[in-house]
Amino acid sequence: MYLFELENVEYLDVIKYPNIKVNKGITTFICGDSGTGKSTLLNLLNTAKSPTKGTVFYLGRMIDEYDTIEHRKQVILVNQSVYLFDMTVRENFYEFYKYRDLDKPDDNTIHKYLKLCIADFNMDALCQNMSGGERQRIFLAICLSFMPKVILLDEPTSALDEKNAGNLISNVKKFCQENSMTLIIVSHSKQLAKQYADDCIELRNGADA
Amino acid sequence: MNTIVKMNIWQFLLVYILLIIVLIIMRRRRINQIKLLFIASIRMTVQLVLAGLVLTYIFENPHPLFTVGYIIAMIGFAIYTVLSRNKGLNRQFKIVVGVSLAVTGLSVIIFFILAVVGVNIFNAQYTIPISGMIMGNAMTGVSLGLKTFNENIRTGRNKIEVLVNLGVTPDKILTPFVNTALETAILPTLNSMLGMGIISLPGMMTGQILSGTLPMTAILYQISIIIAISAVTCMAVFCSLYFGYKTLYNKKNQMHI
Repeated sequence: MYLFELENVEYLDVIKYPNIKVNKGITTFICGDSGTGKSTLLNLLNTAKSPTKGTVFYLGRMIDEYDTIEHRKQVILVNQSVYLFDMTVRENFYEFYKYRDLDKPDDNTIHKYLKLCIADFNMDALCQNMSGGERQRIFLAICLSFMPKVILLDEPTSALDEKNAGNLISNVKKFCQENSMTLIIVSHSKQLAKQYADDCIELRNGADA
Repeated sequence: MNTIVKMNIWQFLLVYILLIIVLIIMRRRRINQIKLLFIASIRMTVQLVLAGLVLTYIFENPHPLFTVGYIIAMIGFAIYTVLSRNKGLNRQFKIVVGVSLAVTGLSVIIFFILAVVGVNIFNAQYTIPISGMIMGNAMTGVSLGLKTFNENIRTGRNKIEVLVNLGVTPDKILTPFVNTALETAILPTLNSMLGMGIISLPGMMTGQILSGTLPMTAILYQISIIIAISAVTCMAVFCSLYFGYKTLYNKKNQMHI
């Protein structure tokens, strides 16, 4: 059974997707030029958007049949433009956990995920003073700490240099494998895809179904 | 005490000299709102003269329908003003705002006239001016509340999107926006209470005193109308935003903002 399956999916008459299949437990890269609907595809997979035509399947069932909130907790989408509260790193963890109705994580847990995302900063540092790349990694650490079944990353390395980008993806991929998490990454970087993708989906302009 | 100085029309016209001073200052300082100054002054004059004529007619020929008609027109105009100042609301949100203003406004008006003042609801002399004060303030409050809400939603779009994608419910995401807007909308009313009687003698009280009412009677009216205004502002803004924000997402918890 596939994790995700797209059947004749179109979005707003602008984007026509090929019949995509995503396997469970591996790392899939989604590549393609701007405007081919990469980010929209992620929104279709986490039910933040619904297709105008066609059907999306999740674990063999139509995605509409799932409770959308529960689904998004299992299939977390990490936006390209991250959001952090104007607070310390630790308080940001607390705040997002509060939004998710979860108990505060302890410092060890926070530290573990920060380290995983190469964001091993002082937990008392204020996030509003950090660079784009630092914020991106902290946000990813928070998302991973929720331990979803699937994690969708939209351009996770857009604000990172090549070396950091490689290390980050390598760490995250290893973590996902250890925890049988499926990783789906939208990325412009052909090199990252070549190096870390188990499977690669190429989106083209006007790709026919 | 009970002598009311009737204004002579020529003396009345003298007050427009003050507007000329405003005009001169605006010209000198190159403030580009001279057109607004003219339009606003003329509209204010014409609208009030018309209101005066209509009220004179209604007082001389009292009929329940006149009072009811006047209140309906007032509520309609309040709703129209709020909606035209806040373009871009979806259809359902507009309906929520309209119903909220009408229901909360009418309830407070009826309670105030029947229970607090204790006169017949169709008594135009009481019902019309008091309804005007209540609806006017509800209108300003809702307008301010919606403006704050929409602006914060616009600047918080990224935060909203991120939280949706983490599986947070729209209720949890949007209620902080509702609370902030509600607070912003009711603060001016609460703050104005602080200076009352010291910095300013409020309009209603001033009017009553000028027309010969005993100050102690005038303050009772003033205190009750201020409380009614705070209540209606809070209720109208709360209902508009609380039921309104629920129109921003669908059954699939997808946001339309």
